[in-house]
Amino acid sequence: MKEKIEEIKKRAQDGMGKITDQKSLEDFRIAFLGRNGAVSGLFSELKNVPKEEKPAVGNQLNQLRDELNASFALMAEKYESSGDEPVARVDLSLPGRARLIGSRHLVTQTMDEIKAIFKRMGFSIYTGPEVESDYYNFEALNFPPNHPARDMQDTFFISDNFVLRTHTTPVQIRIMESGPPPVRAIMPGKVFRNEDINARSHCIFHQIDGIAVGDNITFMELKSTLLSFAKEFYGSNIKHRFRASFFPFTEPSAELDVTCFICCGKGCRMCKHSGWLEILGCGMVDPNVFKSVGYNPEEITGYAFGMGVERIGILKYGLPDIRLYFENDLRFLRQF
Amino acid sequence: MVISLNWLKEYISLEGISAEVISEKLTSAGLEVEKMTDQSAIYKGFVAAHVRECIKHPNADKLSLCKVWDGQNELSVVCGAPNVAVGQKVVLATIGTNIPGKDFIIKKSKIRGAESEGMLCSESELAISDNHEGIMVLGESAEPGSAISDLLGLNDVIFEIGITPNRPDALSHLGVARDLAAIFGREVKKPALKNLPASGDIHKLAAVEIADTQGCPRYTAKVVKNVTIGPSPEWLKNKIQSIGLRSINNVVDVTNFILHELGQPLHAFDLDTLAGNKIVVDKAGALKEFTTLDSNKRQMNPDILMINDGEKGIAIAGIMGGENSEVTAKTKNILLESAYFNPSVIRKGAKFLQMSSDASYRFERGTDPHMTPFAAERAAELIAEVAGGALIAGTIDIYPEKIEKKTTELPYSRIERILGFTIPKEKVIQILKSLEFVITDSTEEKLMLEIPTFRPDVEREIDVIEEVVRIFGYENIPDNLIVSYPVHNRVDQTEFDDQIKTALTGLGYFEAISLPMISEWESSLFGNPVKVKNPLTVEMEYLRTSLIPGMLQNIRRNIHAGEKTIRLFEIGNVMSRTGEGEVSWKNLHEETRCVLVLTGEAETKEWYRDDRKYDIFDLKGDLESLAAKFSIDSFTIDSYYSTEKNIFGSVTELKSRGQAIINGGSVRKDILRKFDIDQPVFCAEFTISSLAEAVKKREGFRHLPKFPKVFRDFAFILDSEVQFNELVAFVEKNQTPLLSSFRLFDVYEHKSLGEGKKSMAFSLEFYNENATLTDEIVDREFNSLIQKISKKFNAQLRGSN
Ligand SMILES: [Zn+2]
Repeated sequence: MKEKIEEIKKRAQDGMGKITDQKSLEDFRIAFLGRNGAVSGLFSELKNVPKEEKPAVGNQLNQLRDELNASFALMAEKYESSGDEPVARVDLSLPGRARLIGSRHLVTQTMDEIKAIFKRMGFSIYTGPEVESDYYNFEALNFPPNHPARDMQDTFFISDNFVLRTHTTPVQIRIMESGPPPVRAIMPGKVFRNEDINARSHCIFHQIDGIAVGDNITFMELKSTLLSFAKEFYGSNIKHRFRASFFPFTEPSAELDVTCFICCGKGCRMCKHSGWLEILGCGMVDPNVFKSVGYNPEEITGYAFGMGVERIGILKYGLPDIRLYFENDLRFLRQF
Repeated sequence: MVISLNWLKEYISLEGISAEVISEKLTSAGLEVEKMTDQSAIYKGFVAAHVRECIKHPNADKLSLCKVWDGQNELSVVCGAPNVAVGQKVVLATIGTNIPGKDFIIKKSKIRGAESEGMLCSESELAISDNHEGIMVLGESAEPGSAISDLLGLNDVIFEIGITPNRPDALSHLGVARDLAAIFGREVKKPALKNLPASGDIHKLAAVEIADTQGCPRYTAKVVKNVTIGPSPEWLKNKIQSIGLRSINNVVDVTNFILHELGQPLHAFDLDTLAGNKIVVDKAGALKEFTTLDSNKRQMNPDILMINDGEKGIAIAGIMGGENSEVTAKTKNILLESAYFNPSVIRKGAKFLQMSSDASYRFERGTDPHMTPFAAERAAELIAEVAGGALIAGTIDIYPEKIEKKTTELPYSRIERILGFTIPKEKVIQILKSLEFVITDSTEEKLMLEIPTFRPDVEREIDVIEEVVRIFGYENIPDNLIVSYPVHNRVDQTEFDDQIKTALTGLGYFEAISLPMISEWESSLFGNPVKVKNPLTVEMEYLRTSLIPGMLQNIRRNIHAGEKTIRLFEIGNVMSRTGEGEVSWKNLHEETRCVLVLTGEAETKEWYRDDRKYDIFDLKGDLESLAAKFSIDSFTIDSYYSTEKNIFGSVTELKSRGQAIINGGSVRKDILRKFDIDQPVFCAEFTISSLAEAVKKREGFRHLPKFPKVFRDFAFILDSEVQFNELVAFVEKNQTPLLSSFRLFDVYEHKSLGEGKKSMAFSLEFYNENATLTDEIVDREFNSLIQKISKKFNAQLRGSN
């Protein structure tokens, strides 16, 4: 047995000297260290060795195996260095096998960004129907019938009492009707206006409305919240303008403008030469709205706000035409 | 609305306040200045000059060579105007001046060999009138070198203000001055009557009757006799023109002046055209048609409020006067109408007639019922002044039911409750007084207020709080509150949609957003659509009942744009009618759906593969991926050739617990043709809530396999008719617990297999979660399955491993 071990050891040393490339390296491994290799064969013969010699022979065998493994590892490092190089070299500069990943629509991406900010602030997200009753779309929101405020929103009618919602604000009525305060939620969705379709206006767009109602919600909190949203969304170095406005469902009402980031406030076509971009409308929830959902305006206060989504992309990316949003041209969709 | 700064200054001193600050503060207070034009900037470079010499140009008949004195230098100017003459005072545009009427800049030039160092200007070149016949000649007194903007009063600043519907009180110069007075803590000087001598008695000349007191709560009239209709004096012309209106004649200009001064619309009738010298305010009733002063025939409805004389209609109340009674060049005697009309009556009328005038715009929003006598009297005085008439004594004022001033309480604590900070009491009182709220009583805790009648929008304590804070200035509201809110019960109803979007974009789909309105023929492909009463076009007359038509339009457009490989999805709402009759919540159904479409090349030709077009198995595969991603409970995917009238030729359905939740397939060719698409399209649509309901509940952790799996393959030669799913169903039925996966990896048809035969190869995976599988056990299972399949399908084992 000992002789056999010595012989194999010698043969292995010779073999080791003949390793010149990866192929001969692999041949060596199979011949000596593989599952059916010479060393393995010796181990299987160990059972025929007399009991009293077993420990010594075993030791010898282990030693042989360890030596060969160590020498092999050294050779392997030399000839198998990358391990990746195939036998026949290929042109590694060939293009990869790419797989296409789709994308969310630019409107969705913008909404996602806005949603994320308000979610962090503790707002829930609700949706509602696009066909609304006149009651939810107008009356409950303090738009009396035959009031000029209704002219602010050109409306598509389904019947005398049903419309395509002109804003996502009706969802706030639905939320408040469904349970007691406190409420803190945003309502993203599609809205409809009966306006001619051209580069600057469209009959559909997307809106995110928001509402916060509770015991101690103030105009100051409204301003602070929406400003911190604006700073997170538009950048903390923006200048802003918070000014009085009018919406039937809020009182007092306000609009928030930020410095036009296209012209930096100097005045350009996008900001109608004013240097300001109107980014959202807001205000304290009108007591009449609380009454229509059965909340007591003496006990609670709240604020609401709303912003258009398409406009943001138009401003951020300089889209020349709002129709691009709904034509679904892949050459457009792939850009975002 | 257009507001002139010079005009404003007649009612308030704005000394020391720049136009920029005025603009900023008005905007902050809710009167948004959309545009501000500083005329003195426009007229920079225009000066008065004296023509000292004027000779014919030697090389041009129509040109003159002039020497003009601009107060400092004598300049040579070539002038083409026929009226230029020595001794005139003219308007000189100096070098570098921009000509507003022409939009070019004056340069030193040579005109036919003669040097010219400026331009003598016409009124049209100054953009102050259309007159371009000859240069403008100034009065003798014009000092050479003085700025034209000062000489002609072109030093105004013009504000274009967007007025929100709640602020009819700000639709006049006086109204804007009132806000400025409150903002800057100054006084408003209101215009006053001059108490000109008057004669006669109006009651002998005219009578007024209000038949519809609901439509017309107050009607005031004044009469001026023997006027001479003619051009307005300069001051009036300037006022009218400064706000961009055309001067028409002295009487019309006065009514326009009062409208823009006080916000009270007036109408002047030719008194001599009024049958019975009488005014009757009533509904149009049987009147079918009426010709307004713009010579348009208007179709009436019975509820429109009319002004009639003793016999006929003479004006559409609050909207527009009639041709039959308008003031003409021959008019001698005038009856002035100054009325208060019910806003919603005027609005309904204007809507019906599709008309809007300066008057209707104000009446719809609500004018001041207490303003009518003063406006009428002031207008009558001005007309007597500028049109040389005789003021008739007395005023007709029909006001059957006095409109009382509204009152409200304002507790200081409420201001703080709403705003979150304190505005000092003195400041609150100053603001309210400036805005002409009357404090009838006050305590430490609250104010009792009488609300001015020109503020129809103010009724409640909250409305008054808005008044206080808008004048206090929104920019002064603290905004340093830390905004962090406790989160409880957070809901996100868009979460599942978002997960679908994530999955589909991962599968290579791009998200589309299509118009929810479609045409009749598109909607007729699916369900019972909801019709839009006032659609933009016939192409958008119905609400979509399915997302598929919109997607097919997207495909058509993309193919036409050269994009022939398309993977799109959309999540959107669809609506349908579920019953007949008047639209109600009961017969409307709206749900959110998702659609996905595939067309074109599934795989492009690459260096490592061949190209391949999309087929039904791509769609099927994506549905399987979705089902796996969302752990759809006991799902199957069935595909078959449709026999029913369906938009799909071959159908693919994803079922969960036996219920179809996703319907898809290849869109039938005849439908594609209607959309002008000539390549196969694969499409699937589902209701989001159905998918959400089919999601399997998470079952908790399953331990990772502890023992090795054992793999086997087999291939059978089968009759071609045998379908894959039959085999699968059979294996599932005869499955032993040890077979953990059964997967097709090859289908092969070839003559060599025999006529009507095919080969199918499967890979099998065996696993026992309690012990290591031995070859003997696996072989037993494997061979038993081979025998069963061979027997059942008359299959011949082609090989096994
Ligand atoms: Zn800009």
